[in-house]
Amino acid sequence: MTDRRLVQNSPPRPGFLAGLGQSLPIALGYFPIAFSFGVAATRAGLTAPEAVMLSLVIYAGASQFLALALVTSGAPVLVAAFTLIAMNLRHVLYGPALMKQAGTGASRRHAWAWAWGLTDEVFGQALGALARGQRFSEPWMFGLGLGAYVAWVGGTGVGALAGGGALESFPAVSAGLGFMLTALFLALLLSILSRAALPAIAVAAVATVIGTLAVSGTTGILAGMIAGALAGVLRR
Amino acid sequence: MNLDLVVLAVLAGAANWGFRALPTLLMRREPHPGGMMARFLAATGPAAIATLVVASVLPQLHPVPRALIPLAAGAAATVLAFLPRRSVAAATLIGATVYGLAFGLLA
Repeated sequence: MTDRRLVQNSPPRPGFLAGLGQSLPIALGYFPIAFSFGVAATRAGLTAPEAVMLSLVIYAGASQFLALALVTSGAPVLVAAFTLIAMNLRHVLYGPALMKQAGTGASRRHAWAWAWGLTDEVFGQALGALARGQRFSEPWMFGLGLGAYVAWVGGTGVGALAGGGALESFPAVSAGLGFMLTALFLALLLSILSRAALPAIAVAAVATVIGTLAVSGTTGILAGMIAGALAGVLRR
Repeated sequence: MNLDLVVLAVLAGAANWGFRALPTLLMRREPHPGGMMARFLAATGPAAIATLVVASVLPQLHPVPRALIPLAAGAAATVLAFLPRRSVAAATLIGATVYGLAFGLLA
């Protein structure tokens, strides 16, 4: 009886279209970066289909730019692959953290498909929405992920075909689009900000700066996430 | 299509899928509420988002600071736009617009 009352009082589960709508800020941020990737790939000697294939199959921004550098420098395939794989290790934390926020009983039957789209930005957007009281659903995750994925692959294709001149004529537009993901992360941070989360946020920020300045950007990101999460464990 | 490039993409893509999907698929049960794993996972989200904010801003501050006024204007606009309605989408779009305008005005 109590359970039924709880379900009746809960907001409805969002569907595919709700997720697709919420992917708009991510898509707007992804498109110009993917566009830049398409331009860079063709400048590095790849064909447009090869550039689009990388976005379709790898679907990880920083890894793809690094892949270009590794391929053009003639690095062995296995060495290059290992480097790219190590860059995305942080993603192992996203699924369990999201399901923890989604709560007991959240379906993950189709996670093999929607989790492919669990990038930094999609994870942040999903987590922020759940923290604001929205319920979890797999169709919603599909919508959120698909909007971002289409923007990424589409942006790559347009960039590879159009070349670098298109956005260079509009530097202010290019700059604004370049700031889109920073603004998105900042807004997401505001949306989940709470007294309980402050230690994790502060420790993560400091560890990211130290890791980045001392070693590399990739190390900084991994250090920030792990140190921040450990700070949450230590908090009583 | 270059075969080495396809092999590289498939290896990296398969690992990405594994990192993103397998931990969710292999979760046997919910972590014990209040336990160490539950606290770790609960803190992962805020830590990840804070990390990504810093990681996205840092290249603009170090080693050579650039476009600091657009950065300050964009960040302030994002915060101010978020506060009234707590809309992530509106704050993102307004923040990026203000950044672009400030960048254009100072160019």
